[in-house]
Amino acid sequence: MKLTPSVVVAAVLSATLAAPALAALGGDAASVQADGVHMKAAVRVTPSSTFSVHQISSAAGIVVREFVGTDGKVFAVSWSGPLNPDLRQVLGGYYGQFLQAAAAAPRNHRQLAINQPELVVQNSGRMRAFTGRAWVPGMLPQNFSVADIK
Amino acid sequence: MRKLLILALTAPLTLLAACGGSSGSSPPPPPPPPPPAQVIANPGPPNVEPITVDAGPAALTGRVVNIAYVTVRICRVSTTQCQDVDHVQVDTGSSGLRILASALGSVVLDVEAAPGGLPVAECMQFADGSSFGPVALADVVMPTSGQVVSGMAVHVIGATTFPQVPADCPGQPENDVASFGANGILGVGPFIQDCGPACADAINFPSGWYYTCPSPTTAGGCAAAAIDTTQQVSNPVVFFNGDNNGVIVELPAVADSGATTVGGSLVFGIGTETNNGLDAATVLLADTGYAYIQATYKGTTFMNAAIDSGSSANFFSDSSFSTCTVNTALYCPGSTVDLTATLQGVDMTMLVADFTLANADSVLGANSSATAMPGLGGPILVQSPGAHSIQFDLGMPFHFGRNVFTAIEGQATPGGTGPYYAY
Repeated sequence: MKLTPSVVVAAVLSATLAAPALAALGGDAASVQADGVHMKAAVRVTPSSTFSVHQISSAAGIVVREFVGTDGKVFAVSWSGPLNPDLRQVLGGYYGQFLQAAAAAPRNHRQLAINQPELVVQNSGRMRAFTGRAWVPGMLPQNFSVADIK
Repeated sequence: MRKLLILALTAPLTLLAACGGSSGSSPPPPPPPPPPAQVIANPGPPNVEPITVDAGPAALTGRVVNIAYVTVRICRVSTTQCQDVDHVQVDTGSSGLRILASALGSVVLDVEAAPGGLPVAECMQFADGSSFGPVALADVVMPTSGQVVSGMAVHVIGATTFPQVPADCPGQPENDVASFGANGILGVGPFIQDCGPACADAINFPSGWYYTCPSPTTAGGCAAAAIDTTQQVSNPVVFFNGDNNGVIVELPAVADSGATTVGGSLVFGIGTETNNGLDAATVLLADTGYAYIQATYKGTTFMNAAIDSGSSANFFSDSSFSTCTVNTALYCPGSTVDLTATLQGVDMTMLVADFTLANADSVLGANSSATAMPGLGGPILVQSPGAHSIQFDLGMPFHFGRNVFTAIEGQATPGGTGPYYAY
């Protein structure tokens, strides 16, 4: 398996930082680091030829996966756990757009689907167990299937 | 055509098979006895509250569909300062009583104090947003049945005294009636607490659920905190004096075209009175961790299944159905279809679940005053491997025409110990 440069950088970061990095959707996996303090998280990197997956698991059981392209940018995120993750952190610059779209969506405490040209967010669950994902359609690698965002 | 479909569905499979091959010499088997007619308990003491599926609270703008509401009386502890809060959603998919502050009138409640004296607050997360506010103590009265819980921890959402939503309470704020869709939620699900032991873990408690608030009116004035299970917002039913091992949601059948208003009953207790026996209902024991049963649908088995009055549609994945153009979270098949799943409890007991799926845009558009619509279904778009979120969700539509039992964890009933579902 060939390691892409972004994976190498991320691996170095996770090895050197006391708290692991969590990049935001659309952000730069190598430069963004925050949030790790209260996630008390462990990072695992799974590389492939066209993208890598950075999995961050908190002690409270919240798992966030970042899908990072060869350009080092996070093009998708997924999450699961007893709560939603800090979506302000995970969605980064897309958080405002997400809030606006969620407010306009029909009231539905169990399912949320936002389907915009620049942003897709899907969230599902109820008390004690949630799963969600988000991606930026224009940033997806070639021949990437969104079914792999899980 | 629609009626024929219903007849075909209710005819047992054995009878259909016999019809198909009736040219042989053996006579068709006799039809089985008809299922027992649904009996809905009359509201009144000691254990039955009236519930209504309707257009929701007065402060609500916009349409709500398939939400069952109940009235709850909230009193300042040990006083007669009380407020009847109407249109509180009956939710067997969550636990704990949550009330919008705006629905409390002039009643003032004391905020719960954590050990050390700091006030306790909570972020209640949903898939589409979250609700924030203090945890307060109240005497909770179910006004028709007369059931009472004194000094109960209640989540007060949108309190003006706690105006600063913490940064890690994510998503769209649902802190008023318009965004919340009700004046509150009565969580009478299979768990005792809303969070449970996870939020009481002094080291690994999650951020974004419970808080203590040294300075609730200033930004950052609340910090995530571990809260003991005895102080968490909890299912009121388990604290009733009797009739406290579970609930039954009893709603009549609704025509495919929908109904403007539907009345039914919320019955407390299982097998504790003459009006709440399991009778012919089949118990599906659920797992103790997440209160899930299994569902097998079109050959696929979903491990995380439940029956949930707080889901306004049946939610399940079926790529053969398209989502709607107007109601984009729902399915729009070409015509109404009859579907079936096989539910299975953790003890391998199986039970058939029949439901219908209608074109949501068509049926909701054709009956703009309908608030009860039995054919609504929609997709669960995201299912991660290893995740514990729900995969097959029989919601309010599944409740029309059935008495659905939800037994609380650890509570004994004639049908076994909760958590379980039965119908």
